[in-house]
Amino acid sequence: MPVFKTPFNGYSVKFSPFYESRLAVATAQNFGILGNGRIHVLDLSPTAPTLSQLVSFDTADGVYDLSWSESHDSLLVAAIADGSVKIYDTALPPTANPIRSLHEHTREVHSTDYNPTRRDSFLTASWDDTIKLWTVDRPTSVRTFKEHAYCVYNAAWNPRHSDVFCSASGDCTLRIWDVREAGSTMIIPAHEFEILACDWNKYDDCVIASASVDKSIKLWDVRNYRVPIAVLNGHGYAVRRVKFSPHRRNVLASCSYDMTVCLWDFMVEDALVARYDHHTEFAVGVDMSVLVDGLLASTGWDELVYVWQQGMDPRAV
Amino acid sequence: MEKATNRQRVLLEHLRPLNSSAHNYESSLSASACAAGDSAAYQRTSAYGDDVVIVAAYRTALCKSKRGGFKDTYPDDLLAPVLRALIEKTNLNPSEVGDIVVGTVLAPGSQRASECRMAAFYAGFPETVPLRTVNRQCSSGLQAVADVAAAIKAGFYDIGIGAGLESMTANPMAWEGSVNPKVEKFQKAQNCLLPMGITSENVAHRFGVTRQEQDQAAVESHRKAAAATSAGKFKDEIIPVATKIVDPKTGEEKPVTISVDDGIRPNTSVSELGKLKTVFKKDGTTTAGNSSQVSDGAGAVLLMKRSLAMHKGLPILGVFRTFAAVGVDPAIMGVGPAVAIPAAVKAAGLEIDDIDLFEINEAFASQFVYCRNKLEIDPEKVNVNGGAMAIGHPLGATGARCVATLLHEMKRRGKDCRFGVISMCIGTGMGAAAVFERGDCADELCNARKVENHGFLSKDAR
Repeated sequence: MPVFKTPFNGYSVKFSPFYESRLAVATAQNFGILGNGRIHVLDLSPTAPTLSQLVSFDTADGVYDLSWSESHDSLLVAAIADGSVKIYDTALPPTANPIRSLHEHTREVHSTDYNPTRRDSFLTASWDDTIKLWTVDRPTSVRTFKEHAYCVYNAAWNPRHSDVFCSASGDCTLRIWDVREAGSTMIIPAHEFEILACDWNKYDDCVIASASVDKSIKLWDVRNYRVPIAVLNGHGYAVRRVKFSPHRRNVLASCSYDMTVCLWDFMVEDALVARYDHHTEFAVGVDMSVLVDGLLASTGWDELVYVWQQGMDPRAV
Repeated sequence: MEKATNRQRVLLEHLRPLNSSAHNYESSLSASACAAGDSAAYQRTSAYGDDVVIVAAYRTALCKSKRGGFKDTYPDDLLAPVLRALIEKTNLNPSEVGDIVVGTVLAPGSQRASECRMAAFYAGFPETVPLRTVNRQCSSGLQAVADVAAAIKAGFYDIGIGAGLESMTANPMAWEGSVNPKVEKFQKAQNCLLPMGITSENVAHRFGVTRQEQDQAAVESHRKAAAATSAGKFKDEIIPVATKIVDPKTGEEKPVTISVDDGIRPNTSVSELGKLKTVFKKDGTTTAGNSSQVSDGAGAVLLMKRSLAMHKGLPILGVFRTFAAVGVDPAIMGVGPAVAIPAAVKAAGLEIDDIDLFEINEAFASQFVYCRNKLEIDPEKVNVNGGAMAIGHPLGATGARCVATLLHEMKRRGKDCRFGVISMCIGTGMGAAAVFERGDCADELCNARKVENHGFLSKDAR
């Protein structure tokens, strides 16, 4: 299966919502602690199992996350460790990029998510404890959501309600927000430890998954969040990212500091569907293709990007 | 650095489940100070607050004794200007200095100690700042700097001055009183009485250093010193001294300001030096032309803890890393650097190849050439601005002079030049060497090479 070696440590990987063979990778030098960053836009060859680089963009600090625009096939939003949010047009050469650089966050920006329903705005979550809402055409943020008491690691739009999103924070809470409301609409004390990621189920707009330093993934129904509807145990270290399948209602993927990528089916008792141990360092980025059923991508601090079909060995040639 | 440490902290929290409310940063896991390897795109730092750093190093010009610019200058008037310069150029409150250590060789011990103490008053130091002298012959100046560095490391004080002073006009080399007849029975002790020139002949004879090689080294030394002077390289380190010169015939006094070394002969050639007669041995090789010059001069170095220098916002010229003094056969005392340099370099955890710049004192061309060849040092790295054969060798001041010359050259060379070594041989059979690391006030990369195929990864992560 295709593998791509990045010069820096991988931080995030995302499939393009427009081209089934395209994906973007966020990387940071020296494990994102200190140094430069680079964004790679990669293409899967239709014939051979190889990944080729379409274009890459250098940044002055590490890139922690990125998201593809849902409205333009060539636009990318990148979350940079220096607190900036940059927008890239992959159709333009690196010298003409980034087309926009937005400096509002005061600390590392850890994640970004493009609104999939309204398709005109995106969220960024930062270690400065805030979440910001942006539109592509405005030079400043539309709104700042400041309620979390510690780093916000992740924010994710609801796949059906265009104004609703959830956020995961190191203050151990999961919060649900509606941008039409002044404050958060729901606070879920989801874990005893820091929460590093969250995602909405693509088929049930009431189900959220949260991933935590406590090594577990919990599934929540926002209509009744007193108890989780499922707890997925199996990772050996903090779970870094969680992602629901765009194709199967009950399936989600996760990656962890235990260096593995796991696939889960939260409705069955033996939830762990597959464990992939192809990374040799912290696995920090995972994504599932919207356009190809069962196509997965992952990246990690071992500087490798893997793309593989569910059920196959990522390392198989 | 703070940003990197904070990032490490956030990430370390992910690996260490703790109670939700208590972000306890003081427990077992902690962020490491070492951030990346030395080939990373930014500079790796091994800077610690308790490093002993040099924030200023100055010297007077070195002048020929009895004939040169300082022939009518009191020794304390040589030392006072450099001591004052340290205070004035750094805006340091002189009462903060914990000790002044002066390396000085030929003058009678107690008288010189008094002169130095007086020089401190002339320079504007209050009575509360103590002073002492140190005598390790030709390396006294370096020993003074090393003593201060050691005392700062030991915590005796946080700021100190290591200096050197010699007026070979006022105090020529001489033996006072009689020699203990017991030396007859102790060969090594007797060898301590050998004139230095004889030890040079011994080195040349025993290790086969030819007259031609020695004269060539002397010519090189003059050429490099002349080039450095005309390029104004010594301007940063030389403090002009306002003094007087007495005309030997008329007795007329004339005020002068001495700011240039006066022993350098830019037009010296091998053929010219070849005509000089040997001094110490009839069929020998050591001449006045390929020996160090007899000079007057002084130098001073201001050292302090790095944390204090940063607190005061002073530029860090260099870091004092290690010092080693060794003993060798007194009959061939000139081989000292060949033993001392490996010892000091090893103590710093380095190898000779890691050193980018050397100041090896040219007491005699014979021993200088021998040491350079023995250690297989690239001649391009040694005494790049000339040495004692051209500039002069005021015994006690030489070590401090070398610190000023080396660190200012390392500053000019910028980030490509990381480690420097100072070494000299010592009469009666010893050698001393010290390793310095370039400070962070180095000029920006001026001679950086383009890196092909940069992997953006540190060497030690590979």
